[in-house]
Amino acid sequence: MKEATAKRITDDLLRPLLHTSWRFFLLVAVLGGIVLMGGIAWMYQIWNGFGESGKRWPVFWGFYITNFVFWIGISHAGTLISAILRLVNAGWRRPVTRCAEVITAFALMIGAMFPIIHLGRPWLFFWLVPYPNQRLIWPNFRSPLVWDFFAISTYLTGSVLFLLLPMIPDFALVRDKTTGFRRKFYGALALGWQGTTKQWHRLESAMQIMAIAIIPVAVSVHTIVSFDFSMAPVPGWHSTIFGPYFVAGAIFSGIAALIIAMAALRKFLHLEDYLHPVHFENLGKLLLMMSLLWAYFVFAERLTTWYGNGTSEMNVFWATQDGGYSPLYWLMVVCNFVIPFPILSLRKLRTVTGCVIASCSVVVGMWLERFLIIVPTLSHKYLTYSWGSYRPGPPEIMIMISTFAAMGLLYTIFSKLVPIISIWELKVGEHPFPIETAAQVKEHAILRTNP
Amino acid sequence: MPHRWGMTVDLDRCTGCGACVTACHAENNIAVVGDVQAAKSRAMHWIRVERYWEGDFPDVRLKFRPVMCQQCDAAPCEPVCPTYASHHTDEGLNAQVYNRCIGTRYCANACPYNVRFFDFYNPKWPRPLHLQLNPDVSVREVGVMEKCTFCVQRISAAEIDAKAEKRELKDGEIEPACVQSCSAKALVFGDLNDPESEVSRLSRSTRGAKLLEELGTLPKVTYLARQTQV
Amino acid sequence: MDRRDFIKLTAVTGAGATLASCGNPEHQLIRFVPDDDIVPGIAEFKPSVCPLCRAGCGLSVRVMDADVETVRNGQAGVVKMMVAKKLEGDPKNPISRGGLCPRGQAAIQITYHPDRLTHPMKRTGARGTGEYKEVTWDEAIAELTGQLNALADAKDQKSLVLLARPRRSRRLELFAEFLSRFGAPAPIGFELFAEDVLRRANAVSFGHEQLPTFDLARAHYVLAFGADFLGTWNSPVSQNAGYGVMRQGRQASGGTRARFVHVEPRMSLTAASADEFVPVKPGTEGVLALGLAHIILRNKLRPADAAGRAGAAIDGWSGGLQDFKPENVEKITGVSALRIERLAHELVEFRPSVAMIGGAPLAHTNGLFNALAVNALNGLLGAVDQPGGVFFTPGVGRSPATPHRPPATAPQSGADAGLAVKVMLIDDANSVFASPKAWKVREALDTVPFIASFGSFLDETSLYADLILPDHSFLETWVDSQPESGALDAVSTVAGPAMKPLHNTRSTPDVVIEIAGKLKSPVALPWKSYEEMLKAPVGSRESAASHQPPATAVKYQPPRFDGDAAGFPFHFLPYASQAFLDGSTAHLPWLQEMPDPLTSGMWSSWIEINPRTAERLGVALGDIVDITSSQGTLQAPVVVFPGIAEDVVAMPVGQGHENFTRYASKRGVNPIGILAPLTESETGALAWAATRVKITRAGGNDGRLILFAGEMRENPFEGRRQER
Ligand SMILES: Nc1nc2c(c(=O)[nH]1)N[C@H]1C(S)=C(S)[C@@H](COP(=O)(O)OP(=O)(O)OC[C@H]3O[C@@H](n4cnc5c(=O)[nH]c(N)nc54)[C@H](O)[C@@H]3O)O[C@H]1N2
Ligand code: SF4
Ligand code: SF4
Ligand code: SF4
Ligand code: SF4
Ligand code: SF4
Repeated sequence: MKEATAKRITDDLLRPLLHTSWRFFLLVAVLGGIVLMGGIAWMYQIWNGFGESGKRWPVFWGFYITNFVFWIGISHAGTLISAILRLVNAGWRRPVTRCAEVITAFALMIGAMFPIIHLGRPWLFFWLVPYPNQRLIWPNFRSPLVWDFFAISTYLTGSVLFLLLPMIPDFALVRDKTTGFRRKFYGALALGWQGTTKQWHRLESAMQIMAIAIIPVAVSVHTIVSFDFSMAPVPGWHSTIFGPYFVAGAIFSGIAALIIAMAALRKFLHLEDYLHPVHFENLGKLLLMMSLLWAYFVFAERLTTWYGNGTSEMNVFWATQDGGYSPLYWLMVVCNFVIPFPILSLRKLRTVTGCVIASCSVVVGMWLERFLIIVPTLSHKYLTYSWGSYRPGPPEIMIMISTFAAMGLLYTIFSKLVPIISIWELKVGEHPFPIETAAQVKEHAILRTNP
Repeated sequence: MPHRWGMTVDLDRCTGCGACVTACHAENNIAVVGDVQAAKSRAMHWIRVERYWEGDFPDVRLKFRPVMCQQCDAAPCEPVCPTYASHHTDEGLNAQVYNRCIGTRYCANACPYNVRFFDFYNPKWPRPLHLQLNPDVSVREVGVMEKCTFCVQRISAAEIDAKAEKRELKDGEIEPACVQSCSAKALVFGDLNDPESEVSRLSRSTRGAKLLEELGTLPKVTYLARQTQV
Repeated sequence: MDRRDFIKLTAVTGAGATLASCGNPEHQLIRFVPDDDIVPGIAEFKPSVCPLCRAGCGLSVRVMDADVETVRNGQAGVVKMMVAKKLEGDPKNPISRGGLCPRGQAAIQITYHPDRLTHPMKRTGARGTGEYKEVTWDEAIAELTGQLNALADAKDQKSLVLLARPRRSRRLELFAEFLSRFGAPAPIGFELFAEDVLRRANAVSFGHEQLPTFDLARAHYVLAFGADFLGTWNSPVSQNAGYGVMRQGRQASGGTRARFVHVEPRMSLTAASADEFVPVKPGTEGVLALGLAHIILRNKLRPADAAGRAGAAIDGWSGGLQDFKPENVEKITGVSALRIERLAHELVEFRPSVAMIGGAPLAHTNGLFNALAVNALNGLLGAVDQPGGVFFTPGVGRSPATPHRPPATAPQSGADAGLAVKVMLIDDANSVFASPKAWKVREALDTVPFIASFGSFLDETSLYADLILPDHSFLETWVDSQPESGALDAVSTVAGPAMKPLHNTRSTPDVVIEIAGKLKSPVALPWKSYEEMLKAPVGSRESAASHQPPATAVKYQPPRFDGDAAGFPFHFLPYASQAFLDGSTAHLPWLQEMPDPLTSGMWSSWIEINPRTAERLGVALGDIVDITSSQGTLQAPVVVFPGIAEDVVAMPVGQGHENFTRYASKRGVNPIGILAPLTESETGALAWAATRVKITRAGGNDGRLILFAGEMRENPFEGRRQER
């Protein structure tokens, strides 16, 4: 391994900000085009009527809510993991935290779009929000959808702060390294960071507080998302296991997304020196644990349903176990367990490539899980005369594809604007100050006094 | 004492004729969605006559069960609605304010009876079919949820009449369209708060049961079981 | 001129009158100021009559003000007028008693149908292409008058034929009067489910050539053979009302719930309500009835002579029906001897009991026998004219129409009778749609030199018309009904227009009266308008009670079927659908979208197949099959139907219109088309239940079948739960 110096770190990690190849523009154009298509698909749906989606009686929720839950789940990678790793002061987290936290912020934004896209009258979405109005009409605070609004907006605010705070010293660094427009831009973002003791102290304690505060918020967010289902007296939904089940699933899919994102960054931004196989190895172990936890939850949920043998619950049970939805169900089991389990439990296979394969499989599996929670249940509610099925419409598919592109686009642009690996944290951690510049002497002196 | 509107469905009288289904369409401006949309399960029937087969030929039986909104006292569709579009009235009805509905369709998922229907498109009435529209009932636009209202327009009309004439409502004075059309008189509507009303009397019948009673939704529709022998 | 006069001057119409009397200058004005009697937003209720079936239910029409875009005398504008909003059963009408059937509920869509014919038209393209040009009423009436004058000039009045739906209304009486005075044959009544066989049987058995009325409200035991009396047959609304009472209407006053047994090879909507469903081999219903009678006679449960002339009409009655011992009956009908014994005892034990027969059992080659057998059973049970039994509504005359027989419309066979049809008038009859292909109705129509139709829609038959003189809708004109059944007392319903006409149409009876007067040698009719006719008292009618029992009593003849059992293994049972009856209501969108009560089908055709048969044929729900008779092949999706015998397949009638408005055209298939032209052997009526077919799989589920329901069983996984 090459010996990394502070200068190297700075150079390597600032390179994407300062040098842009045509490949970047091509990628942005392609991803942007797909996102635009999604926007057009949405407008098409609004213009022609919501019937352009595949929703139907009695399956009134489908791809959009699947994607909502999926993306909110993905958002649990970043902030939550990063907060936990910060709190336990796991040294290997340092190159990982920022790219993880970014996932949270963007996945939340994308996820939060879906409840609006899925509205019959999306132009009235703000009626979900308690805003002062002439007729003194409030939203219904008993509705989990209103809880969603509060939970997601709190989580989004929290995780954006959590992401932004440790970016300040890096913005200052970029400011100091650049001239002209960039200097102004990053100067504004650096919020006057001078690296004084007081500032470092405040940053550290702010990070500490945020890390503690964000964990319950994250847990509650996905619990509340699970309440969208478990609060309704619907067979298969009305279950106490949904809260932890959703949180575990969220972390599971989140870690998988993080692994994929890291591998992509490593490859495209040539960060092999910073994102080591050991990072993948560690995250892979975490993923393995979550896979086992997920399998346990699924088993527990299925077992209790089967043992309880309630008529309507069993209808949903059989529909997924060997009915029309069973191919998807068993594919989900393969993706979430059968594939990742051997890969991640055998050290020989737990390579970067192995972890990425397992992660891709988990992402697919967890998307299927969200789908299978929603659709088979709504298809098989109590009165069998009213049973139905669901097939997504073209706008739903297009919009779903476009959100993956949106994630890629936002990520690409972000890594162009912000050092995707926290430079100062890296310096503090893995590479404790090998060669110091004059400016850094001051900086690090302070850091040393504030371990 | 406020009224508490309820209905009984006598399964021993119901012949499954379907008049109630068409009557409800005629009264409540329910859109005809057409074959393409009907094939996508977008047909809207605020009241449907469920039929269930039992046994095999030749020892086969069939039962009909008209299902409309059960006007639950503990309606699962109400708390989940973020905008109060689905809410409870003083007279115990589950009311639907179309203007307030933003189309989350959450209520429809929460309703155990699957009696809520969504307007996937703006309704179309090729002229002059629009002349059949009942001016007492609003026409719903795309993106909102709709369902049986117990023909609330007929209820309020009768209440206004009675008030103008300074008298009490008579039992049987209000007939929702489905009740009115049912020639077998399987459906009876009235005030459950009046212990003497026909609907109260029938609701107390030993044949009576609520649909999905075990869910605790406290429906105001009582089903009177079909009898099998003399 | 004060304001009031101004309103009068600009008013196009006066209350109750029609737009027909044009020619006055004020009629050129569009009325923008509404009539004084319109109170905006306030509903009124006006009487009317449902036109959709022979039951003739009385309506109460809710009318309210509305702005109507219309054309008056060529000028387009908006008129404020009272329009119908909702049809309800008239609570005071003894037939509907406040209720309606789903078809009656949807009848309002006839008036507002977007494809309704709005003005008189003359054919411009080839017949059947539907190319017409608008003409004025004067031109249209002159054209038809000219055609009739030409017949009169040639002394060929006999070649005028009117094909009409045989309704018991004074409209048909007016037509008949006109035709007879003109010198033409009586109207020909065309209706698919005409029940002529039953009328004939009732004439033979009871001396009433009319359909029966059942006193269900007081019956304690009902045994029905094939009659879909709660769905489509006879007078369904009044029968539903009686049914409600017989089930749960009597307990409160200490009465009992009636028991109801239904006999047929396919569980119909009606059979679904029965306490006991007795599947029987098609066409053997009469044998079962006589089997029951045999046991009653054998055990002397009822006096042998109770059946009177109804019994005398059956061969072997006086000898105790020895050919109908339970063992024999079991062999023929498939109903076990034990069950026959039990049912016979129940029939007597639970009296007042009544038997009824209708629909498919009469549509076999031995239909009359089946009807006579059930009539005799009723006689034996003492059910005739007794509380809880069968009645004949008094005051009902013989229908002025002669029943349609295939040769009647065919000129070549008309020639046999010494006449060729030169001018044909069509009033609400769709013989092209509702006839087997083998009758060659199209070919026959093609040879008729001049056809005029009074219909409001272009259908398969009126597409042959050279001239179309569209009638008002039933809500826009005087209507009446003298139902032949459905009430214990005589009923005559007459109602004025519930609203003013929307379009440039005219009341057909008034058009006939006008033409009668305009002929070169005018035909004098006793009325100046249909309104006047309806307001005039009903004169004495030729009694329907004129038939004598036949000299020889009828014997059981096994039903004949078209197609041998080996090549065509299935009985093909077309049935009147709850939504479309015989297909005449298929153009109403509410009915297209109404889920079929048994299958939940909407907007489609289907074929009902027993689950075991389906398995054997390798077909599942929605799969497409070819249904082949000796007459042709249809393709339809499969509905796996637990309530049908393994050797029977059934298909609702009503879809498969080639041309019948945007809602019904090219939708599904028409089972009538592939029926063999077998007829009931005594009456010549179409034996529409006597065709056999073969079924072959033609393809997978292509989405053609549109169902509303998900599952057909309440607990589809029950079997599995028990296994566990
Ligand atoms: N957007 C908007 N809404 C308003 C107002 C506004 O300024 N803007 N103004 C408000 C006020 S102040 C008022 S007064 C109301 C008025 O509201 P409306 O009372 O509804 O007034 P119009 O629409 O003028 O007339 C009602 C109907 O009466 C019919 N009509 C006219 N003459 C006669 C007649 O002699 N006999 C009968 N039977 N019918 C007749 C007309 O054809 C018309 O269809 O609107 C109120 N609503
Ligand atoms: S109208 Fe009455 S009898 Fe007919 S299906 Fe409805 S409830 Fe049953
Ligand atoms: S669809 Fe409308 S009524 Fe139903 S929960 Fe959403 S906003 Fe409320
Ligand atoms: S039946 Fe459904 S829609 Fe009606 S009140 Fe109950 S939960 Fe709400
Ligand atoms: S009560 Fe009114 S709204 Fe409800 S099903 Fe009956 S007709 Fe329809
Ligand atoms: S039974 Fe139905 S279709 Fe026939 S007249 Fe009565 S309402 Fe009309």
